[in-house]
Amino acid sequence: MEAIRDAVDFSDFPRMDLIIAWIVALFFLAFPLFPHSSFAMATMIQFFMFSLYGMGWNAIGGYGGQVDLGKAQYVGIGAYTTAVMLIRWDIPFWFSMPVGMFFAVVWSFIIGYPLFRLKGHYFAIATIATSLVLKDLFDVWSFVGAARGLEISPIEYPPPDFLRLIFKEDINYYYIILGFFFLGILYMNWFRKSRLGFQLRCIKDNEDVARSLGINVHWAKVKTYAIATAFVSFVGSFHACYIKNIEPVDTMSLDISILIALMAMLGGAGSLWGPIIGAGVLIPLKSYLKEWLGAAAGLVGIDLVLYAIIIMLISAVEPRGIWGIVEKIRRRKRQ
Amino acid sequence: MAFLEVQSVTKTFGGLRANDKVSFSMERGELVGLIGPNGAGKTTLFNCISGYHPVTSGRIIFDAEDITDLKAYEVARRGMARTFQVYVASGDLTVEENVMVGCFMRTGSRKGAKARAGEVLEDLKLGDLSHYMLSELPVAAQKRVTMATALGSNPKMLLLDEVAAGLNTAEVEEVMTSIRHVHHDLGVTVMLIEHVMELVMKVSDRVIVLDYGEKIADGPPEEIAKDARVIKAYLGERFVREHTGEFR
Repeated sequence: MEAIRDAVDFSDFPRMDLIIAWIVALFFLAFPLFPHSSFAMATMIQFFMFSLYGMGWNAIGGYGGQVDLGKAQYVGIGAYTTAVMLIRWDIPFWFSMPVGMFFAVVWSFIIGYPLFRLKGHYFAIATIATSLVLKDLFDVWSFVGAARGLEISPIEYPPPDFLRLIFKEDINYYYIILGFFFLGILYMNWFRKSRLGFQLRCIKDNEDVARSLGINVHWAKVKTYAIATAFVSFVGSFHACYIKNIEPVDTMSLDISILIALMAMLGGAGSLWGPIIGAGVLIPLKSYLKEWLGAAAGLVGIDLVLYAIIIMLISAVEPRGIWGIVEKIRRRKRQ
Repeated sequence: MAFLEVQSVTKTFGGLRANDKVSFSMERGELVGLIGPNGAGKTTLFNCISGYHPVTSGRIIFDAEDITDLKAYEVARRGMARTFQVYVASGDLTVEENVMVGCFMRTGSRKGAKARAGEVLEDLKLGDLSHYMLSELPVAAQKRVTMATALGSNPKMLLLDEVAAGLNTAEVEEVMTSIRHVHHDLGVTVMLIEHVMELVMKVSDRVIVLDYGEKIADGPPEEIAKDARVIKAYLGERFVREHTGEFR
């Protein structure tokens, strides 16, 4: 009961934030009613997906300070579980999604347990490694289609199919992912105030102090990593039904891992709104840059240049990202 | 059996004997000072007791339980809290949130932790600071907040590592009041490492002296101040000349 009350209680944010949040939320709800291009629609859906990835990343990477660059492996586990179960056994999304989450969480325990013995950069590098190993494994595993991947054919499952999450119009996907986007915010709002959330922030501050307060540091990290994983795997399952075509090169690439971490850091690691702001800036920028500059002017890879610039800006200007700048200005005003 | 029993604890780092067969015991409700020159092994001994270093040999019994092989967080959960000599606050948590982390050891409920944190902060007269970032506070206040955080977990025993280091006289006075309050009013057994002799000699029931990892003296403050070995190893002639008679 207290948990639910905490999840819907945003009263510790300034009024200004809440007004903006409400306006943005109403805009999201109303967006499909306005005239829009299908490209804008696709960008919005990507934005929600990456916001959810970012929220998951933020649990362990932001609140816990454990920079994880291997989230793509969990996107893959979620996406493949859903696709394989649908194609092979005709098991719909709503059943395969929790199964995918379960596999992802089990995998996160298997690699999280040894990996969290490592600290800082070593941990980050190790997560990249496990993610790439899993990708290579999927690349040669014929059961899941190897390098050619899997395709969910809309002909076999005539839309609209709510159980299997196969639709013709993007608007259906839009509202489903929007619903989970709001749920994700509520969950993270509870998480940051929960015992585990506090413990994690203390761990980020100083692990020795955390131990002296009875916190099993290793276990707290492993647990939170599992929570982050569940988020990512869920969106992976959604990705399978939405994109309908998954292959290791795409779904499990290092680019995805880095983009997830980068967004959360750009927006503000360790804050509730950070990953959303980050996704809100980066995803449209990435899509439109690719569309205008990449396709039109032949500047392929311009988005990668952009990422590099952002990484440099974050580390040079404000490690806490955009939200960090907002808070800094606020504190200065108060004093 | 005594409340805390340290039996012949030895801790070596490579060839260095940081603690050499240190034995002592403490009764419930005692306040013991641990002094000695730099590098005498005081913090190492704290680390051994609180589970941060595995001991090379010896046993540690706390509240009728052998805690020698327990991990730091397990020792903490059994009611042994501690503070750290050097505490770098990166400033992600406010004072209240910091103390709440301590309180969360005993409760899973945020409301419960918040209420308890409020009590502890009021108790140590830190209530006005609860919404500041820890890193914004002066050192003296930071040290008292770390005490409050440790107290949030409702410990039976508290190990304080140089809480008065680098403070001015007025601030030492504040910290001393806090320590006395914790000891007398809250009934917590306290052991403190301190270089500020005014504080140690005034508040301690008993003082233990380490030198080169060995225990060289153990007794009431006034005896320690007169002990020839302690004077030679640590206090120095001048200190004794100036302060004899003050600690009665």
